Amino acid sequence: MEEEAGEEPGLDRSAPKDFHFYHMDLYDSEDRLQIFPEENTRMRREVVQAEKTSEPRGAGDAKAQRDLQEEVDELAHLYGLEDDNDLGDEFVDENMTRMGVPEYPPYVMKRRDPTRGQSDWRLSGEAAEAEDLGFGEWGSAGQCQDLREAYRYAHGRASEEYECYVIPEEEDEEEAADIFCVTCKTPVRTFEKDFDEHKEHEVTPLSKALESAKDEIHKNMYKLEKQIIEMENFANHLEEVFITVEENFGKQEQNFESRYNEILETLAQKYEEKIQTLGEKKKEKLETLYGQLVSCGENLDTCKELMETIEEMCHEEKDDFIKDAVAMTDRLGKFLKTKTDVEISAQPDFEDQTLDFSDVEQLMGSINTIPAPSAPVINPQAPNSATGSSVRVCWSLYSDDTVESYQLYYRPVQDSSPGKNQAEFTVTIKETYCSVTNLVPNTQYEFWVTAHNRAGPSPSSEHAVYMTAPSPPIIKTKEIRSCKEAALICWESGNLNPVDSYTVELTQAESPEASGVTESIVGIPTCEALLQLQPGQSYVIYVRALNVGGPSARSEPATVHTTGSYFHLNKDTCHPWLTISEDGLTVTRSQRKISVKESLSSHTRFTRCVAVMGNLIPVRGRHYWEVEVDEHLDYTVGVAFEDVPKQEDLGANCFSWCMRHTFASSRHKYEFLHNRTTPDIRVTVSPKKIGILLDYENSKLSFFNVDISQHLYSFSCQLHQFVHPCFSLEKSGCLNIHNGISMPKHVTFY
Amino acid sequence: MALKQISSNKCFGGLQKVFEHDSVELKCKMKFAIYLPPKAETGKCPALYWLSGLTCTEQNFISKSGYHQAASEHGLVVIAPDTSPRGCNIKGEDDSWDFGTGAGFYVDATQDPWKTNYRMYSYVTVELPQLINANFPVDPQRMSIFGHSMGGHGALICALKNPGKYKSVSAFAPICNPVLCPWGKKAFSGYLGTDQGKWKSYDATLLVKSYPDSQLDILIDQGKDDQFLSDGQLLPDNFIAACTEKKIPVVFRLQEGYDHSYYFIATFIIDHIRHHAKYLNA
Repeated sequence: MEEEAGEEPGLDRSAPKDFHFYHMDLYDSEDRLQIFPEENTRMRREVVQAEKTSEPRGAGDAKAQRDLQEEVDELAHLYGLEDDNDLGDEFVDENMTRMGVPEYPPYVMKRRDPTRGQSDWRLSGEAAEAEDLGFGEWGSAGQCQDLREAYRYAHGRASEEYECYVIPEEEDEEEAADIFCVTCKTPVRTFEKDFDEHKEHEVTPLSKALESAKDEIHKNMYKLEKQIIEMENFANHLEEVFITVEENFGKQEQNFESRYNEILETLAQKYEEKIQTLGEKKKEKLETLYGQLVSCGENLDTCKELMETIEEMCHEEKDDFIKDAVAMTDRLGKFLKTKTDVEISAQPDFEDQTLDFSDVEQLMGSINTIPAPSAPVINPQAPNSATGSSVRVCWSLYSDDTVESYQLYYRPVQDSSPGKNQAEFTVTIKETYCSVTNLVPNTQYEFWVTAHNRAGPSPSSEHAVYMTAPSPPIIKTKEIRSCKEAALICWESGNLNPVDSYTVELTQAESPEASGVTESIVGIPTCEALLQLQPGQSYVIYVRALNVGGPSARSEPATVHTTGSYFHLNKDTCHPWLTISEDGLTVTRSQRKISVKESLSSHTRFTRCVAVMGNLIPVRGRHYWEVEVDEHLDYTVGVAFEDVPKQEDLGANCFSWCMRHTFASSRHKYEFLHNRTTPDIRVTVSPKKIGILLDYENSKLSFFNVDISQHLYSFSCQLHQFVHPCFSLEKSGCLNIHNGISMPKHVTFY
Repeated sequence: MALKQISSNKCFGGLQKVFEHDSVELKCKMKFAIYLPPKAETGKCPALYWLSGLTCTEQNFISKSGYHQAASEHGLVVIAPDTSPRGCNIKGEDDSWDFGTGAGFYVDATQDPWKTNYRMYSYVTVELPQLINANFPVDPQRMSIFGHSMGGHGALICALKNPGKYKSVSAFAPICNPVLCPWGKKAFSGYLGTDQGKWKSYDATLLVKSYPDSQLDILIDQGKDDQFLSDGQLLPDNFIAACTEKKIPVVFRLQEGYDHSYYFIATFIIDHIRHHAKYLNA
């Protein structure tokens, strides 16, 4: 019991604390404050108000307080706290000071019955309504009502749960009972069991009953805690909705206000205009009439004057009369000839003017519950978001806007023909992004977007240029050159427009354990790349083209073996009499001489000596290849600079180093020619296969008889630039070139 | 067969030594030079025998040819014997420079008074290799031979008479066809007698004709301004013709402007050492 006494108060304390979610909020819980950061202050204000209104009813409350005090004591007693009143007092004091509302000790709140809590709520609501403050600022009274109802509901539910927990403990108890009657569900004293109504009843020791009761209570508390958390969350959610509603309606109000103001302004303007026009018309008419009146008066005066003159004349002598009468008759005649205008120049009524309210009507019509959206903001293209045939276009809108759909427009950018209007495409989408497909690779497209809702379309967004990824390049497999340490890969762009760069991806093919390990060389600006490789390996190589839109798909793969130096014959250098086989490795000079028009001296094509050049990889290492020859064939093999004079024989200048074989009168002659000179060297066994070792590192070019591993000759040559293999046939026959082969050991001595 | 070290000098990381020993074949004290490359300190190396020309001792080659660096790099033990028995007190042995002392011609003499001591062929092909194999870190399976002038003749006949014994052979201005040149005629008639049929077995050009089809790569350098070439002492053309006919691989390099001296040898010694290294270190 003593142990439990230690922990039970803690529980007792924590349970109400958590439990008092709404109550505490309303009063002064510092713990809860942060949940409703701003609203709470407002709410608290009104609730305090509510408390004040309820104070006159304090008499009723006092009784309740007393009852509750008793209940607390009982509970404490039940938990073995009867001797520990200090703790209870402490608890009370502490809470009281913390809460700062002495009239409401914590257990009062704890014990407050649900209906009372609700009545408080109602009171507070009424007070708020009456004074029209607090909730007034949140919008209509109806909204407030709704909110309060929601709160009440939440509170009510919480109270119900609370009740379940409280009721069993409200059982009255007078003196220490030591057993528990299961049937009656009441503690009894042992002696009572033998006599009273409990005689036949099942009883258990009180401590056991207490245990199970506590268990029950704990379970319920746990449930309640869960419930509380749920309710807290729900309340938070409601709070959010509350704020949103407030914001939305505020916005709508603003919207209406601005719209109606607009209309009123328009009407006022119209009124001003009409009034002014009317005034002008009136003035004009009056002026006209006045003018007419004046002229009319003038006429009248003249008539009167004439009349007077005539009357005077009638009183004159005959002679004078006759004289004056003639003059008068003329004057009168003239006067009468002048037409007297008696038509009224201006009508008193005003012309019918229709009042045009169409623009106002339009404005009225445009006042909807939602305003038309403002122009969306189109995003610039995200890197690597495009494929060869599609782009992903994204945009955003102002969060205030209500949008039902978007209209996305696009057309290819063509600066070449501005006059010709490119076809425009339109897509309607609901999302703020769109993957536009079926586009042309490596092409710029212009995109713009409008947002739509019931009120109509928004203005168009800015135009943004997106680019589709390029098409994959095409590796020129027939032009791949390689050696033990490197490979030179060339490719066709595969795109008409230039791309930004290329990426080469290479994987070692013959190491299945390392499969998937791909090395990438990025940012290659041109259509070729010299790759540093490991000797004696096989590589699978892919190329991708890149632009701002992203990378293209992989090219078709190409395979490279770094066994030995591998080259092709360069057809551009080939003398017309020579033909190169399909595999590019056999040179044939046919018996029949094709008459060749004496072409102008060329820089690339051999014109005099019947030769062809190979494309060796430009890497300064060691290169080895072999040439299969006929013993009776006249041939020249060796190396030359790319710009060797093509109208000269190989070995006849400083730009080539060659071994020449001539067979005449059953004698073999071997010359090692450079700059027209050769050492005097005799070879007793004619090679059928010549090995050629080009060694940049040691500035040497060596020739071997492959079959018997015989070293024939080595040139020491200063190779200040790259050289290429050369092959020449002085008689009809053919040479077979073997390359991409590993170097025999015996040549490594040279 | 006690060896007596005459000298030892460090050279290109290895040691150039000269030894003296009592020769069984020649029945006199003989000196030979031996170069031990750095590699010989840790393991067995191939042996390359050098045969010098007329009038030479073991000293000429080791002091003039400049072969040490290449031999050191390729890890070859190079042995240079003397060119004839010495101090045998044979009447007339010192009368001419091209016969007797310094002119053993690498034959086993059959005529008196030379037949007791002048057994240079057996000395260089049998006794000396056994001595070397027994006393130095060499691999008996890997040996080659080369020489100059008379020594070139000696190297060629040693290789041609013992197919497979030598991995490779090379020569500087060798006497290729001694039976047809004045030096050869003089020496062969003196050591072997007047029966020219006996000379055949010591003539490289004639030996080629009976040489079995076996791998042998022959490298020959010849100075074009060699006085003995124009004197008809060397006759390389005959050898080349024979080799061409028998398809024995020869690369013959006629070097413009070079004479018969050690300056010529020193110029191309590296090529020859490499030629042998290619087969010895293969």
